[in-house]
Amino acid sequence: MRNTPVLVDPTGEVEPARREPLARPDSLDGRTVALLDISKARGDVFLDRLHRRLDERGIEVKRYMKPTFARTAPIAVKQQIASEAALVVEGLAD
Amino acid sequence: MEARGVPGVGVATTEFVEAWQAQSAALGYEPPMIFVPHPIQDRTDAEIQALADAAVEEIVSRLTA
Amino acid sequence: MTTQLTLVVKRDCPTCTLLEPVYAALAASGIALDVWTQDDPAFPESVPGAFDEGLERSFRLGVEIVPTLIRREDGEETGRTWGWDRAEWERLTGLDSLGADLPPFRPGCGAKNVEPGMPEALAARFGSARLKSRRVPLAPLEDEVEAAYDRGWSDGLPVVPPTEARVLAMLDGTTRDPGEVLGLVPPNLQPCTVEKVAVNAVMAGCKPEYLPLVLAVVEAALDDAFCMHGVLATTYYIGPIVIANGPVRRAIGMNAKGNVLGQGNRANATVGRALQLVVRNVGGGKPQGVDRAALGNPGKYTFCFPEDEEGSAWPPLSESRGAGAGASAVTLFAGYGVMGVVDQDSRTPEALVETFADVFRGLENRNRRNIDAVIVVSPEHDRVFRAGGWSRGDFEAALRTALDEPGHATPKLREGGLLIVRAGGGAGMFSAILPGWAATGPVGSIPVTKEVGT
Repeated sequence: MRNTPVLVDPTGEVEPARREPLARPDSLDGRTVALLDISKARGDVFLDRLHRRLDERGIEVKRYMKPTFARTAPIAVKQQIASEAALVVEGLAD
Repeated sequence: MEARGVPGVGVATTEFVEAWQAQSAALGYEPPMIFVPHPIQDRTDAEIQALADAAVEEIVSRLTA
Repeated sequence: MTTQLTLVVKRDCPTCTLLEPVYAALAASGIALDVWTQDDPAFPESVPGAFDEGLERSFRLGVEIVPTLIRREDGEETGRTWGWDRAEWERLTGLDSLGADLPPFRPGCGAKNVEPGMPEALAARFGSARLKSRRVPLAPLEDEVEAAYDRGWSDGLPVVPPTEARVLAMLDGTTRDPGEVLGLVPPNLQPCTVEKVAVNAVMAGCKPEYLPLVLAVVEAALDDAFCMHGVLATTYYIGPIVIANGPVRRAIGMNAKGNVLGQGNRANATVGRALQLVVRNVGGGKPQGVDRAALGNPGKYTFCFPEDEEGSAWPPLSESRGAGAGASAVTLFAGYGVMGVVDQDSRTPEALVETFADVFRGLENRNRRNIDAVIVVSPEHDRVFRAGGWSRGDFEAALRTALDEPGHATPKLREGGLLIVRAGGGAGMFSAILPGWAATGPVGSIPVTKEVGT
């Protein structure tokens, strides 16, 4: 009988502990919502409409843009959002 | 952006459900996402606006407690 | 200061048996002595010895010849000798008249721990503590190749099972520390050590001598400019394409000639595959997971080839991109292929370049601009450029001029986005275009060239 083979794990050995999303505010009153356009084609049409609907509810909206959908947002954009907005909506990935 | 303390929600099309699940499983963290019907790029403006109208209530609810 | 002598011998070696009087003299000298015997616990007869039955002691001491005599001061090795050389033994022990009745010199014998197959087996048994990766024990009747499939480690083709012995042998192919981190592999941003590259190189089918090249390929892929996360996650066709330059190509037997972009060469095939397996396994990037390719391309199993520098009148691609002259280097390009450029008529560079331009004009669709591409110039097309005295730069300039179209401010080919290499078999007036990603340049992927280390 042959020995039981042992293999060396080729993976990143990810064994994550679960994290919970950040706590949300009770309402959006008085809070600025960032709309981050990830620069996919026609995502702006979606975000324009969302912007209008949030305006109608009296919610303050600011718009941001990633220069390319292919990369994560530049640090400068992330910092700007963190400085100016309380919440963020990112889209639209298709 | 959550790592920077800004709660958020991502909007993607249903085509990204599997990608989101895979990344969530690996990271041990489920970033809040809502999914709208795929595709987007070849739709008319009116169709995309209708998708946004349909999604706005869920977006607001996912941003609040 | 404590002096310690260690002696490793075996009965089967005539030099070892000849030295019985010397062993007795060492034991009588008062210097601390421990003796290890490789084959017969009753040997030597003049002093008590310990039996190194599993050869672990011999392996850890790195013994190659018996007898071996090692001197330590306060635990630190200060010298060793092997075989019988009276002057050396006297110098090492500080004793006079050792083996006065023996000839002054006798060669030793090969140690049991370096017999064929033994170094690998011993390395796996006793050297595996070097490896930091988690171990995956298989069930007794589990097939090793199927086990790799079941655990999701395969790209669809069988992998070589990454046993400890194979991984240790692979790591012998580099001088770098197994624990050195090359970078974070997307999409899960896991640290990629030299060891993890070695495990995946084993699975891809690489030989240990390929490892320095594979390490350079992985480093290029993890360079921020290459944007590996985007290259993986895009819906586009693309994957990493590896182009090798310099002495490493011939040293490891890569194929730059006939069927250069096709199957059949171990180094071409496995080096490219090793990168894909690193992204899949270390990074967690899998199709229909974070890899969102609509169609992909067959090069996502492996796409690696060398330039035929010997057959080219142009300097190597790597040198044109800043690598040292004569250095081994890799260039990574995010692309797919293979789009044919067929011209069996042109006898001047001017006519031939028009054929290339004609293929580029309609590439992907007529309105696509600012694209990146590799052009693989076949020998029979190279001959036309060479006869006309055209350099690589002349070719690119003429191609760009031919592609200028009124009404388009953006060029068809992105400035800096064209890589021209020479490769392929001697017969066939067929070149190839390997188109790049839709996101080119700083907003997407930029080709990366890295020199190959050791």
